[in-house]
Amino acid sequence: MTPRRFSFLLGASFIVALSVLGAIPAWTQDTVLKTQAFGTLTRPVALFDHDTHNEKAGLDDCAICHHVYRNGKLVAGESSEDKACSDCHTLQGQGRQPGLRVAYHTACAGCHTTKAKGPLACGQCHRR
Amino acid sequence: MERIYILVSGPLAWIAWSVLILGSIYRLWQVFSLAKQKEQVLFSYISLKYALRSIINWSIPWNTTNMRLHPIFTGVAFLFHIGFFVILIFLSAHVIMIEEGFGLSWPTIPDALADVMAFLVVGACIFFGVRRIVRPEVAFVTDWTDFALLGLVAAPFLTGILAYHQWGDPLLMTILHMLSAEILLISIPFTRLVHMLFAPFTRGYIGSEFGMVRHVKDW
Ligand code: HEC
Ligand code: HEC
Ligand code: HEC
Ligand code: HEC
Repeated sequence: MTPRRFSFLLGASFIVALSVLGAIPAWTQDTVLKTQAFGTLTRPVALFDHDTHNEKAGLDDCAICHHVYRNGKLVAGESSEDKACSDCHTLQGQGRQPGLRVAYHTACAGCHTTKAKGPLACGQCHRR
Repeated sequence: MERIYILVSGPLAWIAWSVLILGSIYRLWQVFSLAKQKEQVLFSYISLKYALRSIINWSIPWNTTNMRLHPIFTGVAFLFHIGFFVILIFLSAHVIMIEEGFGLSWPTIPDALADVMAFLVVGACIFFGVRRIVRPEVAFVTDWTDFALLGLVAAPFLTGILAYHQWGDPLLMTILHMLSAEILLISIPFTRLVHMLFAPFTRGYIGSEFGMVRHVKDW
């Protein structure tokens, strides 16, 4: 093998390796639910593939989940996707604002129940 | 399948708990009015002190002569009853659902402990079933309803284990878990599981008669 050919193969395999590595996050979930606030989790993190989910479920309005409240009223037309749920929802509920776990479960399982579509049982979201 | 889950986790659960509570009130009323009609004299033997004394003594494992005669059965029976109620009341998933449905919440036990207890409860049911076959004196008073009742009690625990470990389809297992628990709740007042309601009264009565009238211990 000539040095030229060798360096070509080396470079090519480098590029192939990089693109494979780069593709890995695309195969797994793209959004990571921020769970630090829970401390050690007692269950596997819930399945939630943000964009695929919202496309499948036909959710165009970001504020369905990323809501904004002012003076206890839902503000229409404003959304809070720059914030994590846990930025507002502390572990323990505060007044009418539910605690973090309850907020997630009410939002996620609540909609699945009304639509009778999507996961409902614990083990469907918290997949081992 | 989603609709079935919504049915068993909502309306059917309300129906099951209502039947349990109303059925229990009815059964207690039925027994007490029968006693009043036929055996008025029973009531004059009731003594709270002796009743409680007997109930407490029979609540301590291996405390009574009869329990010491059957040490293994006693151990298994205590494990079974403790496991049954501790899991029912303190399992995290149960408390989480109650908190999210009713806003009430209380401390829970670790899932790993609940897991071990659930296996012990199922194991105890198998033990009770085998005992009904191999011990002649028990086999003599056993018929198919005894095994049916054991199956009824074991089913929610078995399906609970399957749902928790996600052995099999989690949605299906959770549906079967809720459904079997609802069937169990509904059967309590109308089968021999009614001993759950009557045991304190029968024990209390025997304790009273032995303590107050015959002046002897009943354990
Ligand atoms: C079904 C509910 C839901 C809908 C609808 C939704 N999101 Fe999200 N989104 C989430 C959740 C849950 C998270 C994770 C938040 C956390 O970790 O606290 C998230 C995270 C994000 C993040 C943070 C980025 C990241 O990867 O961590 C962005 C940006 C975002 N969403 C944008 C949007 C936009 C834009 C829309 C509307 C097109 C939208 N979302 C609709 C639930 C939703
Ligand atoms: C900017 C702060 C903020 C963020 C970010 C936020 N919430 Fe909320 N949320 C609130 C407040 C405040 C309330 C209380 C509303 C009221 O007064 O009724 C609330 C209420 C709720 C409720 C109960 C009422 C309802 O809308 O059903 C749920 C469920 C909920 N939030 C889920 C979520 C989820 C899931 C996320 C992340 C995707 C999230 N929230 C992000 C502030 C926030
Ligand atoms: C406003 C309604 C709505 C909300 C809020 C919502 N979902 Fe869903 N979700 C759906 C619907 C509808 C489907 C069924 C989509 C389909 O397969 O047709 C679904 C499906 C899913 C699935 C199965 C996806 C698949 O590939 O089959 C998962 C997992 C899921 N949701 C998780 C979540 C989580 C976690 C949350 C909260 C952060 C959430 N969902 C919030 C409506 C919602
Ligand atoms: C629709 C999806 C969904 C269902 C169904 C669901 N959860 Fe969750 N759960 C979530 C999400 C999303 C979070 C927040 C992120 C995380 O920790 O996975 C969460 C968080 C939790 C947490 C706190 C974090 C931890 O691991 O300690 C617990 C505990 C929990 N869930 C238990 C349950 C139980 C028990 C059930 C059944 C009664 C259940 N969940 C059903 C989506 C779901």
